[in-house]
Amino acid sequence: MQIFDDYKDHADFLTVYVREAHPTDEWQMKSNVKDDVCYAQPRNLSDRLAIANDFIKRFKYPLPFGVDDMKNAANDAYAAWPERLYIIDENGKIAYRGGMGPFHYHPAEVRAWLATRYGEVKHPEVKTEEKKS
Amino acid sequence: MRNIFIWVGISLGALLVIAFVALSVMAGGPKDALYMVRYALPHMHRGNLRVGDSAPDARIYALDGAETFHIRERTGAKPLVVVFGSFT
Repeated sequence: MQIFDDYKDHADFLTVYVREAHPTDEWQMKSNVKDDVCYAQPRNLSDRLAIANDFIKRFKYPLPFGVDDMKNAANDAYAAWPERLYIIDENGKIAYRGGMGPFHYHPAEVRAWLATRYGEVKHPEVKTEEKKS
Repeated sequence: MRNIFIWVGISLGALLVIAFVALSVMAGGPKDALYMVRYALPHMHRGNLRVGDSAPDARIYALDGAETFHIRERTGAKPLVVVFGSFT
């Protein structure tokens, strides 16, 4: 996650795993089968932890990570499902509230917030191979 | 008068069909459109947090399941970017 690499010295990051968006026993999508991401909705904490650990291992996910409890306390408090981004400032106030994913899930808005505070982090453009004449 | 009701009914039916087709295209298929109505629509207006509100606290499990921490414990020193999501 490029934003994490760019701003981890300025901001803390936390990923919270919440209830599955497209489990096999609810709204499974074709892309889940194609990507071999097929899980039933966890009914207990150990199942939820197992899926979260699979996710971490598969993507070698670098961000600090936690798992919502089976009462879905964090999900309910933050209207998090299926995915959503927030920034909490140093005073414990909501500084940014992203929209409901996937259609309104915009990491670029988080980057813009961080860039406004800490400056933009620019990356060299990836040069495409020039056509041989 | 009867004709008006018939045309209103036809128009509403046509609108529903158009809406369902549009939703199907957006969701990826008719089945996904139905699932979207069932699973996603109820969530679309959930939550009333606004910028400037106090961030709610919640207990979070560490990946080993043995330890827990609170979101509030992770705030204070720097801004905290919180990413909510799942595997699927």
